[in-house]
Amino acid sequence: MNLGTFVRKNRPHWQKLESMLGVIETRGPRGTDRLFLRELTALYRMTTGDLAFAQTHYRGTTLLLFLHQLVARAHNQIYRPHRFSAKVFDIFIRRDVPRAVREHLPAVTWSIIIFLMGVGLGLSAVQFDERAASIILPSSVLNSIYSGQLWTGSIFSVVPSSIASTYLFTSNISVALLAFAGGLSCGLITAAILFQNGFMLGVAIKLCANYGLLGALLEFIAGHGLLEISSILVAGAAGFVLANALLNPGSLSRIDALAQEGRSAVRMALICVPALVVAGCIETFISPSHFPVWFKAALGLTLGTSFWLYLLFTGKSAPIKTE
Amino acid sequence: MTTTTSSWDARKTELELPEEIDLQVEVANVGSRTLAILLDIALAGLVLFIVYTLMILFARNTADDWMTKLTSNAVTTLLILLIFGFQWVYFNFFEWLWNGQTPGKRLLHLRVIKADGSPVSGIDVLLRNLARPIDTMGPMGLLGLLMIFVSRKAQRLGDLMAQTLVIHEVAIDWSIFDQVVREAVASSSVTAPSIRLTAGQWELLHRYLSRRETFPDDTRQQLAESIYKSLKPAAKGTELERSTLPAQEWLIELARRT
Repeated sequence: MNLGTFVRKNRPHWQKLESMLGVIETRGPRGTDRLFLRELTALYRMTTGDLAFAQTHYRGTTLLLFLHQLVARAHNQIYRPHRFSAKVFDIFIRRDVPRAVREHLPAVTWSIIIFLMGVGLGLSAVQFDERAASIILPSSVLNSIYSGQLWTGSIFSVVPSSIASTYLFTSNISVALLAFAGGLSCGLITAAILFQNGFMLGVAIKLCANYGLLGALLEFIAGHGLLEISSILVAGAAGFVLANALLNPGSLSRIDALAQEGRSAVRMALICVPALVVAGCIETFISPSHFPVWFKAALGLTLGTSFWLYLLFTGKSAPIKTE
Repeated sequence: MTTTTSSWDARKTELELPEEIDLQVEVANVGSRTLAILLDIALAGLVLFIVYTLMILFARNTADDWMTKLTSNAVTTLLILLIFGFQWVYFNFFEWLWNGQTPGKRLLHLRVIKADGSPVSGIDVLLRNLARPIDTMGPMGLLGLLMIFVSRKAQRLGDLMAQTLVIHEVAIDWSIFDQVVREAVASSSVTAPSIRLTAGQWELLHRYLSRRETFPDDTRQQLAESIYKSLKPAAKGTELERSTLPAQEWLIELARRT
């Protein structure tokens, strides 16, 4: 068939398909009816047939490029993945996240070890020389401690709580997600973040102890500390999963290992988002308040342990339904 | 799946569809992807600038009524959320909502698709965008640029992890085939023996014919001469080969006989 005849004969249904794609792309499949979709798939099949014909007979023409584009657009509409729904979210929370964590317990262990190394080094650094604290703590915090007061009191009395809580959870989530993405640097950035956070905690504990503020500090972090640190540790573990895929890909290529492990690692990283929002709110509204110590401690302990119980023991028998 | 490299900036790659045909797509180049990012940054920057200006205005207003305080706090909170949102949510949200496009990508006709040709899912979008601090943002952008530049299918680290590609969607311009219809009407009266052209030659001829009015005279003449030279062998053995018509008219005659 001559190219001219081919175009003349088929152009009407190509253009029909094109205009229907315009409709479905703006309105989505729910904005159309059954007849529309049936006609769309019929036109799609006809056009793929035309494309196959054109590939044999009209190589190197612009028409071929057009048909490729048209089929690609139609393909995108017809084979769209399942949209986000409550069910997908439910499966994600109840099954995918705990499974991903359980599959990667060694990474979680490494994450905890590196964090604790940071804490230990922070404690001993201040023990050795108090000036070491100035490496990591800002001078406003240091001055506050030297004058015998916890820095938190001044911050939360000046900054309105809506701003403080938003700032706290956004910066914590950024740290957690960066710890995850840092896995792509073969784990160096992840390890640095975990170590730095541990070091900061160690320094703060030892310095406060030196100035008789240990009780006040522990009371402050009792409510949110466990959940916050656990979240960062899990996000760090997700980063180490990526790093491990890059460094020990096993029988896969590094890229394939990364693509495979990335899918479960990102689930581990994402659970930190809600956890850190909760921790940020407690840190703003409950930790600096005058709630009794036992209440803060009980709250912190309950949240922290239920976070770990959820990750380690749930989702084992949840209904398995992929797709 | 095969990839052909015609030149450094126009890589094509073939995807296999369930209908058992290979779909050829054009992989987006470094330049358009960088430009798309810059457009997204410009858009976000504009929004941030407006909210920041509002925040400054409210901060200067020292009136002590609760209304002012509340609005000021709300605007500051909004600013913090927006900065966070641009870093971590913007790309994820738009690529998920618009099937692989952000506003910047949409303007430049780019789209993220899976490496097998299917549309991206939420997890794919998250994987490729959470990797941005390592391969797009700030100085790390150099790594991303380098990877897009050298990797076979222009994939940065996040694309490799999510198994996605960014493609360039060529807008379909049917107008070059309009001539076909007009010629069909014109040629119905001519009964000269037909000449067989290859599809490539045919398209060259018709593209020229549909666009010739848009050229200045001398360019049209030059173009006609060179197309005439390349199509002359096709008319071998017909009376058109011996015809002494000028190139422009000769090409119209040729179109009538094919």
